[in-house]
Amino acid sequence: MTTLETAPVLVPHRSPSLRWSWGLLANLVARNLRVKYQRSALGFVWTLLNPLLTVGVLIAVFHYVVRIQVPHYWAFLLSGYFVWSFTLQTLTAATTVLPEHAHLARSLPLPSEVLITATVLSRLVEFLAELALVLILLAAFHHGGVPAGYLWLPALILLQVALVLGLTLPIATLSAFFHDVQHALPLGLMVLFYVSPVFYPASLVPERLRPWYQLNPFAGLLTAYQSALYQGHAPAPGPLALTAAEALVIAGIGYAIFRRYRALLPEIV
Amino acid sequence: MPSSAATVPSSPRSSERPGGHPPALATLEPAIVCRDVVKHYYYYEHRTTSLREMFRRRVLRRPLHVRQPRFALSGLDLRIGQGEGVALLGPNGSGKSTVLRLLAGIYQPTSGSIEVRGRVGTVMELGAGFHPELTGGENVRLYGAMLGLSGRELAARYGRILDFAGLHDFIAMPVKYYSSGMQARLAFAVAICVDPDILLLDEVLAVGDQAFRERCMERLHRFRAEGGTLVAVSHDPEGIAALCERAVWLQDGQVRMQGPTAEVAAAYAASARQGSGS
Repeated sequence: MTTLETAPVLVPHRSPSLRWSWGLLANLVARNLRVKYQRSALGFVWTLLNPLLTVGVLIAVFHYVVRIQVPHYWAFLLSGYFVWSFTLQTLTAATTVLPEHAHLARSLPLPSEVLITATVLSRLVEFLAELALVLILLAAFHHGGVPAGYLWLPALILLQVALVLGLTLPIATLSAFFHDVQHALPLGLMVLFYVSPVFYPASLVPERLRPWYQLNPFAGLLTAYQSALYQGHAPAPGPLALTAAEALVIAGIGYAIFRRYRALLPEIV
Repeated sequence: MPSSAATVPSSPRSSERPGGHPPALATLEPAIVCRDVVKHYYYYEHRTTSLREMFRRRVLRRPLHVRQPRFALSGLDLRIGQGEGVALLGPNGSGKSTVLRLLAGIYQPTSGSIEVRGRVGTVMELGAGFHPELTGGENVRLYGAMLGLSGRELAARYGRILDFAGLHDFIAMPVKYYSSGMQARLAFAVAICVDPDILLLDEVLAVGDQAFRERCMERLHRFRAEGGTLVAVSHDPEGIAALCERAVWLQDGQVRMQGPTAEVAAAYAASARQGSGS
């Protein structure tokens, strides 16, 4: 009788065709976007409609009913919401990307990390388009000009990609082994939505809970986005450094989990 | 214990050899060397598909009753010289496709070592990378990238691919409107135009019409004549016999017999007729 513990440790060897390929990545991102948009007349409008409706509902509820005391609440909400919807959609897609390519992965030597990264990047392209729209709206109707905080965006986007990719890799890997991931993830994301400052500012969190609250890397990321976009100035360096450190640790652990099991992924999914 | 398997960088295909019969095996530089390769699909039978099972095992320390792993390959030794053509014969489940996947690097061996020298082209299934919504041209670029071509390499081959497929008029049409034969033609055209040193072919030529099959066979002959190494899987010894001078008969994950294709194919056919094939 054999148990899982005696399973062989994975062979470190990788076929040359399994090495990272930027060309393949670019082709997969182009494929994902083409397939999504090319036969739809309204295209990107549909992608915007869902978050815009949600933003509309959140504004109605938290500006007119619950009355969160934030001036220009719409501007505050827009500066963080799209970061959240990027996270939500990318992590949800992470559970299906490997099964969707299962047949392909058994036919061709495709590096799984490229498949997974392509999912993140094609969503990022959409995010950048949404962000451009938000930047224009905020500059025109909230700041009346381009605030200095916008300069921080490249760094924040990089941080966001590292954090989300660091979560996407292990989620995609583990969901190939445990179907439970598909069930658990929506619950986790639901909790994460409420414990992250998406529709309320982190400053409303009671002072004594704040240090714990700030441990959530999404709290740090969203607060930084809100500083840069809504307030229009540089994010506070301390919390931002903490978030960056957390993102690096998460990306490191996530990659390690993925790396440990990646050779098995084509057989398993 | 895990093994190490090495992949030696590509060596240029020898082109000075005259087309026709390759020299005897002993004089050939090896293109592929498998030593004592074991592959078992451990996780197919034993993987934990739920956290509940994991909890039982890890936390309650209650062992799960699991069966022995199914061995797809148990100690395969195989040496294929550069420019050789080798047919893999054997009944379903004998490990033929597993051998190809291991050589392609799709799967990793459980133990043993695999050395592959040169650029490998893999065709497990024609058109596996195609997306039905994309046009023929877009799919050629995508599939080319999946097969390992850079953008520049693909651009240099694009015209040749369309010529071989004979689909110039349909290249702007989504692939979902193609017939299965047209899809196969396009896929094979991309795969062969990658110009691999070693071509791994699963049973893919069963699709397509007679004319297409003949074109493929002719192209594969040229590939062989130019010194390419071919490893092809087949249930049907007749079709590939013409392309491969050597055959390897796999049975239960081991080499049962190897030698000149005609002899091995005859022995395999005799065994299959007797019903002792499995």
